[in-house]
Amino acid sequence: MTTLAPRKRSARSGGPSVGRPGAVWAVPATIFFALFALVPLIFVGVLSFTSWSGLADPVFVGFDNWVKLIADPILTKSFGLTGLFVILGLITQTPLSILLGVWAAGHQKNRAVLSAIYFVPLLLSSAAISILWRALLDPNFGIPGQLPWLFGDGNLFGKQASAIAVLTFVSMWQFTPFHTLIYQGAARAIPPVLYQAAQIDGAGTVRQFFSVTLPQLRNSIITSGILMVVGGLTTFDTVLILTNGGPGTDTTITAFYMYQKAFRAFDFGQASAIAVVLVVIATAISLLVVRLSGYDKMQSAQEGI
Amino acid sequence: MNTHSRWLTRSLAGAAVIAVGLAMAGCSTGSSGASSRPENVIHVAVYGDATNKVEEQIVATFNKTSDVKVILDKIPGADYQQKLQTIISTKAAPDVFFNWGGGSIQDFVKAGLLLPLDDFIAEDPGLKDNFLPAVFNTAVIDGKPYGVPMRGTQPVMLFNNKTVLAANNITPPTTWEELLADVKILKAKGITPIALGGADQWTTLMWYEYIYDRVAGPGLFEKAISGDKSVWDSAASKKALGYIKDLIDAGAFGTNFDSVKFTDGGSPTLLRTGRAAFELMGSWNYSTQQSADPDFAAKDLGYTAFPAISGGEGDAGNVVGNPNNFYSVIKATRYPDTARDFLKLMYSDEFVKASMAIGNLPTTTNTEQFLDTAADPAYATFQFDLVKAAPSFQLSWDQAYPPAAGTPLKTAVQQFFNGQLDEAGFIQAMQAL
Repeated sequence: MTTLAPRKRSARSGGPSVGRPGAVWAVPATIFFALFALVPLIFVGVLSFTSWSGLADPVFVGFDNWVKLIADPILTKSFGLTGLFVILGLITQTPLSILLGVWAAGHQKNRAVLSAIYFVPLLLSSAAISILWRALLDPNFGIPGQLPWLFGDGNLFGKQASAIAVLTFVSMWQFTPFHTLIYQGAARAIPPVLYQAAQIDGAGTVRQFFSVTLPQLRNSIITSGILMVVGGLTTFDTVLILTNGGPGTDTTITAFYMYQKAFRAFDFGQASAIAVVLVVIATAISLLVVRLSGYDKMQSAQEGI
Repeated sequence: MNTHSRWLTRSLAGAAVIAVGLAMAGCSTGSSGASSRPENVIHVAVYGDATNKVEEQIVATFNKTSDVKVILDKIPGADYQQKLQTIISTKAAPDVFFNWGGGSIQDFVKAGLLLPLDDFIAEDPGLKDNFLPAVFNTAVIDGKPYGVPMRGTQPVMLFNNKTVLAANNITPPTTWEELLADVKILKAKGITPIALGGADQWTTLMWYEYIYDRVAGPGLFEKAISGDKSVWDSAASKKALGYIKDLIDAGAFGTNFDSVKFTDGGSPTLLRTGRAAFELMGSWNYSTQQSADPDFAAKDLGYTAFPAISGGEGDAGNVVGNPNNFYSVIKATRYPDTARDFLKLMYSDEFVKASMAIGNLPTTTNTEQFLDTAADPAYATFQFDLVKAAPSFQLSWDQAYPPAAGTPLKTAVQQFFNGQLDEAGFIQAMQAL
């Protein structure tokens, strides 16, 4: 009986609308998206053409904010820094999480226990993680104070290169477990028959990894990559707590600069203009990644199996 | 395809309706007149911290006799200025609110939101005369008073570790030359001469405030803040920068100060454990040290005024820091008379005694007679005499400028200190504020 029911329903509906619910189904999500994403976005767009400190009514100033934006050296620098963070995030986190994810996909007991421990950072808030690492990396009373041969005077937050390295490392510590989880799931979904076939053909573990596992993880790499890019573009809390954008403006990435303009300088017009730029860039990058990778064609990695 | 695009048009129209609705709702909250304010109460907003104990007591006293009651709104910690900025032009604005004077209320004054206190003072001259003038003047903007001092004064002083000084046979410096000599001795012994939590940036700023004051006099900053940006390029300004550079180059702060913070206990611990000998800090450093180690605060924590700089234009008695916090009154208040009567309590004996009991040092003329009731009478007396005798009490630069200038100011200060900016770069950054 139970196996018959769905077959009967699909037979009745038939035609081109098979398995597709009507537009009504999208209404709750659309309203939510419109109210909390589109409407604020429209307001931000409007605000970017005004001067507003939050006190009196916004004053329309035309393209003033945008002209200032183009001439602002800190903003230009922040784009470069943001790009650098995104790239550093991608190249440090991707290989590590693929290796860990594939390793954790095994069903051995010790792997299950170790991966459970390894996922702990995922449970902590970014603020807690940042405060923790700030204390651990204190030049006098933290790890650098104990290992002068490695860290010198421990001035990690006082030099651009080391400040960026700290931020990249903390992001890696924080987000690798999440991406590992994605790869663990994806690696477990690879049909064992592929490995059996590879073994018959004489492929060793390394060859199996590069010829079977990696190609099968393609879509997961794209998903995880997009998440890393978008996450990198919106990184904020770690910068605020660990470096406060410093030394000077050496780690002032675009999202943090927007915060400074809005909530420290109370220049909401300028901050809105930066926000619009961020939205456009993030959307463009996502679209680009999807296009270039052929993700939108929805090809299955298991065609022909 | 056709149904799809029609659906899209319809949903976009819906979004537009929602947007317009929200915009109209936003407009209706914007118009706030005295008539729309609550009846028979005034709201007093304060920064939420340990001092609220005094404020609660004063409010209770006031409400015993007043028909219009005061409601105390304690706004939690760090985001005070942000929250104030978002509510002050709305119906939810407090009638009376805590602030830092200077730049923290300048934008509100410009927007016409605050009540000048001239009329209050005409009705009760005590609202001005009972406070130390150098402190009261911090909340005078464009010649009109906008605030009444309401907490304790926080002058910046040069703290030292008495044990470290004694072990190296040095006394606290009274002149710049002595300071440089002490730095040399301490550095040779492998001790960081001066603890600096440079990652906080405002800590570094204190050195600029004092050195500029001693070398160029308080007039230079006054001119700069009132719009004469050429003073940053003057000979006196360059001379002050030279003094700062000399101190840094002498190794006074070590090399890793930009990774150290005051706010997470880093630099106070350096001073307390004897790994550093001096620290330039606000008067709150005493309670910071006391909560970590009461014995150290009582016996080993020394404090002196900032050294004199010979040949400089500033008086050696000048002080920088936070003169006090202030109560300001908004123009839209329904009960200005109640606000005035409430402000009168800020120079009452009860207020002074309650403040002294929790370690705050009020800046009223009657504070002097209660100094021996303080937790540490010697410390309270030293501070009060310092502030009372000061020809000028410069408000911290980052508070004196409006909020928009805060970040670029502190960035430039940090960059000149760690060598990322040279003299010309710093001058240019200050002129761009």
